[in-house]
Amino acid sequence: MNDDYLWDKTGEPDPQVQELEEILGTLRYQPKPLQIPNELTLPQRRNYFPWVAIAAGVLLAILAGGIWLSTRSRSDAPQRQAEVTAPAPVKEVTPSVPKTPERKNEPREEVVAVVHKHRPRSSTPILSKGEREEALMAKEQVMIALRLTTEKLSLVHKKTQNTSPVNQIKNQHRVG
Amino acid sequence: MKSSFNKHLIALLLIITSAFVAKAQDTRIQMNSLDHLAAKANQTVDVNVDERLMKLAARLFSDKDEDELKVKKLIEGLKGIYVKSFEFETEGQYVAADLEPIRAQLRGAGWTRLVNVISKKEGNVEVYLQFAGEMVNGLAVLHTDDKELTVVNIVGPVNLDKLAQLEGQMGIPDLGIESPKAKKKTNEQ
Repeated sequence: MNDDYLWDKTGEPDPQVQELEEILGTLRYQPKPLQIPNELTLPQRRNYFPWVAIAAGVLLAILAGGIWLSTRSRSDAPQRQAEVTAPAPVKEVTPSVPKTPERKNEPREEVVAVVHKHRPRSSTPILSKGEREEALMAKEQVMIALRLTTEKLSLVHKKTQNTSPVNQIKNQHRVG
Repeated sequence: MKSSFNKHLIALLLIITSAFVAKAQDTRIQMNSLDHLAAKANQTVDVNVDERLMKLAARLFSDKDEDELKVKKLIEGLKGIYVKSFEFETEGQYVAADLEPIRAQLRGAGWTRLVNVISKKEGNVEVYLQFAGEMVNGLAVLHTDDKELTVVNIVGPVNLDKLAQLEGQMGIPDLGIESPKAKKKTNEQ
């Protein structure tokens, strides 16, 4: 018996092999186009890009807001501290309110009420450290300016009161 | 279309006119022309307090202290105080031309020279006021001496009565001004 038929289909065929060929031949690959059944629908691929972009935008906004708030709170830190200690200075500012032991023993709600009473009365809101320094310098400058002004006006007054031949005084001249 | 254009033109002209009027009413005197004198001066006083600083300073004046309250009331409503004062070691450190830009400003914009004192000993003092109707809207004092030059400019409604009330307080020299009521009382006595 020659086995060539098994290898390259040459030579004398073996009936058993042929029979096996016929049986298995039905399962042979048959080239035909792929047919997708109609009932089978592929899920549509969603475009998540806009949502991701919106989420990123919101996150960025939150982040930026957080940074801004933290920097703001840092810069306002002395003012906040002053606000926290407000009840004590309020009493200092208004010494007319007697600091009696009875008042100390009063319930907390009443203390808060006292603070609320004083707030509208004080027309000067608490200044930050920087503002206070600026205000102190401005006050000093104002006082220097007023001293100089009144000094000059005093000189004028003195001269206008004590008129002498040496001094020539001309009043009420319209210039221009 | 044309009427709309005319309306816009009129509005624009009104804005420009009001801007010019506002500029004309500005009682602030520019003193930059004196800046170069600081290098020659023995002592310089330069005060620049604008409206914002004025309001800030006003907060620090106490309402309880009578003297401070007077100052507070005086500076309330003021839009600025500007002073330039130079004291020189020797005479002739400045010339009349240095003052000319300031005098030019005081010649215009409704300024009135109230007093002009010429003294050989203490120099010349000129007091200028700017009126807005009946109200004093600005004060300028020009003191020129051989060794001193001072320019004071108060911008805003200056209450001269209140200014007079400051005399002798908080280091402010006595003006020697008597209010009419006080004068009447002394006369009665």
